Amino acid sequence: MSRPLGQVELQHGAATDVGLVRQVNEDSFLVAPPVFVVADGMGGHDGGDVASAIVVEEFARLADEGYDPRRGAEVVAATLTSCQQRIEQYGAHQRLGGAGSFHAGTTAVVALLVEDAGETKWLLANLGDSRIYRFSEGVLEQVSVDHSVVQELVEAGTITADDAAVHPERHIITRALGATEGAEADYFLLPLPAVERLLLCSDGVTGMIGDDHVARILAAAADPRDAAEQVVRAAVAAGGKDNATAVVVDVVGLAHDHPYDSERQRVSLEQKLGALP
Amino acid sequence: MTPSPSRPRSYRPGDWYAVLGPDVLVALPPSERGRVAALWEMVDDGADGDAVLDALIAGGLRHLPGFVLVSEVDGTTRAVVRGSVTCTLTAGGEVVELDGTAATTWVERSLPGVTATTVSVSGDAAGPDLVIGPGLVRVARVDDPPASVEAAPAAPLDVPAPLDVPAPVDVPAPAEVPQVEEEPSPVVAAAAEAAVPDEPAAGPAAEPEPEPAAEPVEPAYEDLPTERFDSLPPAPPAPPAWGPTSPPPSAPPAAPEPDPTPDPQPDPQPDPPPADHDHDGMTRAGSWDPDEFARPQAGIPGQPQAPSVTSRPVARLVVSSGDTVDVDRVVLVGRAPEARRFTSTEQPRLVTVPSPQQEISSTHLEVRPGSGADHGSAVVTDMGSTNGTVLVQPGLPSESLQPGIPVQLIPGALIDLGDGVTIQVTRP
Repeated sequence: MSRPLGQVELQHGAATDVGLVRQVNEDSFLVAPPVFVVADGMGGHDGGDVASAIVVEEFARLADEGYDPRRGAEVVAATLTSCQQRIEQYGAHQRLGGAGSFHAGTTAVVALLVEDAGETKWLLANLGDSRIYRFSEGVLEQVSVDHSVVQELVEAGTITADDAAVHPERHIITRALGATEGAEADYFLLPLPAVERLLLCSDGVTGMIGDDHVARILAAAADPRDAAEQVVRAAVAAGGKDNATAVVVDVVGLAHDHPYDSERQRVSLEQKLGALP
Repeated sequence: MTPSPSRPRSYRPGDWYAVLGPDVLVALPPSERGRVAALWEMVDDGADGDAVLDALIAGGLRHLPGFVLVSEVDGTTRAVVRGSVTCTLTAGGEVVELDGTAATTWVERSLPGVTATTVSVSGDAAGPDLVIGPGLVRVARVDDPPASVEAAPAAPLDVPAPLDVPAPVDVPAPAEVPQVEEEPSPVVAAAAEAAVPDEPAAGPAAEPEPEPAAEPVEPAYEDLPTERFDSLPPAPPAPPAWGPTSPPPSAPPAAPEPDPTPDPQPDPQPDPPPADHDHDGMTRAGSWDPDEFARPQAGIPGQPQAPSVTSRPVARLVVSSGDTVDVDRVVLVGRAPEARRFTSTEQPRLVTVPSPQQEISSTHLEVRPGSGADHGSAVVTDMGSTNGTVLVQPGLPSESLQPGIPVQLIPGALIDLGDGVTIQVTRP
């Protein structure tokens, strides 16, 4: 993948599942290197899936048309604003059509490559309670910080992170696209070598399986497609109470850090594909 | 005076504070004196139980030894009890007693069709059962509906007679007023405040008096439905540490002596419009304050936020590895620095420095424009680096930075990150 961003090579996998309880999969995802998105729509009644699809469409267009990698945060903010407007318009249209108090909304987590100070970096953006993790040197770390009531309580010291997992209000989010107030995303800028593997996922994954379980899967599955598949499958197996979506992205071009690993990973992937160059 | 939609309760005097709203009852221990006024304001504005609970715990549970919160929505009563207090709910012959003594957090129970509620905060409180409408009062026990009142004042609840103050709420019976004056701290219902103008808690509650007519209850909280966006808690009042959000509690000017010409006033608490439970919707405008959830951007928890981007740099950093960086926003320096939780318009500058010995941490330190007393200069903070940071300022002994503690930078300062990397601070 040599988009506008040098020689960074990305490999990716994605999987989604409606789960065992819901009728509709309101999650959407985008893998359009170097842009990756997971959006968890909500609203039901034809609302959530449309809202999350709008996010994917807008970022797909961004990936397609290209963007100025030196203005990553601005670009993402503008795209999120377009999403917000389209979701609002869609909601207004539905209400005009008689759907009373119709509202649609969606979370969004976005990862894309940008340039900062002459280096290629990951720019991550988050709105809501979908999450971005990085997996490096065998350690899984949540990078994004949920926009949720329980996260606020955790930060206020009112409850612990363990309480948060079972708190009755754990599904209430404080920012989202489509919310009347609109919402500003949080952004994160990480140097490429600090991220061997990225995981973007909806709360249907993290609400069902713990971080340690996710870490074990990511450690065991060398191929990002296997990793994404297994993460989602594990979430469904654990109860599948919500739509579960995972996007896994590996940076292959980290030659200066882990030449052996990335080479092995590439060979492994190519062998599985059965198509050596 | 139009009848208030609220119902009367009865109480026995004590040292706890009870905030009594139409559908919400909150009891707080004496130590929470500083926040009862804000809670009263919130409840009087129509906040629902969830909103009040959020406000109660906003400052953390550890410092809140006990409380009782009883709220009613659509015929279902929810009681939350913390600490050694009890709340007794009677519903259809069933009597449920909640005691928070043994709970680490709180005890909670929801019951439909509750016909009687009793909150008892200090053992067997003796004393008369006094009837009260909405308001703020010091109690040992509250009964809803009123306990069979032996000393039931004859006066109907809605009569504001003795004070002749345009009362936004039901006025306690005249019999209570003397008692209020004997005991300076209690505050009995908003209308009685003129009698106790020195009570700080009366401040916010007193404010509607001069123009009570202009105080329709905002229905915003009433409308909060229960799903994802909808149940966003409305802005809790600021925790005590931030000081009151309402006007300072010097009530006297706001509560003049009985107004000779009380205006006829509309119902201060019109029946809330039928709650519009849009189950799939999001909160509507104004029902919560987005700033409530505004987070600090990249930076140090607990530190005041600097203006993240300043119009002109407050300092210039000359890094020994060759970079020169202006401090007009947050600057993060390290072996492989990461910026976290910034907004799209306030992206920090990341300065990567070489560290062949790995002595420098990935995100080692932060320099940003100072705020408050440090306004106009830069401040440096060690971000919890493994090997620390040494700062040498002109005319001062060299110091090791304490992680997370910002230090103001003087032009001429030299910051040593280790591995031979230093940063010289100059004027921009």
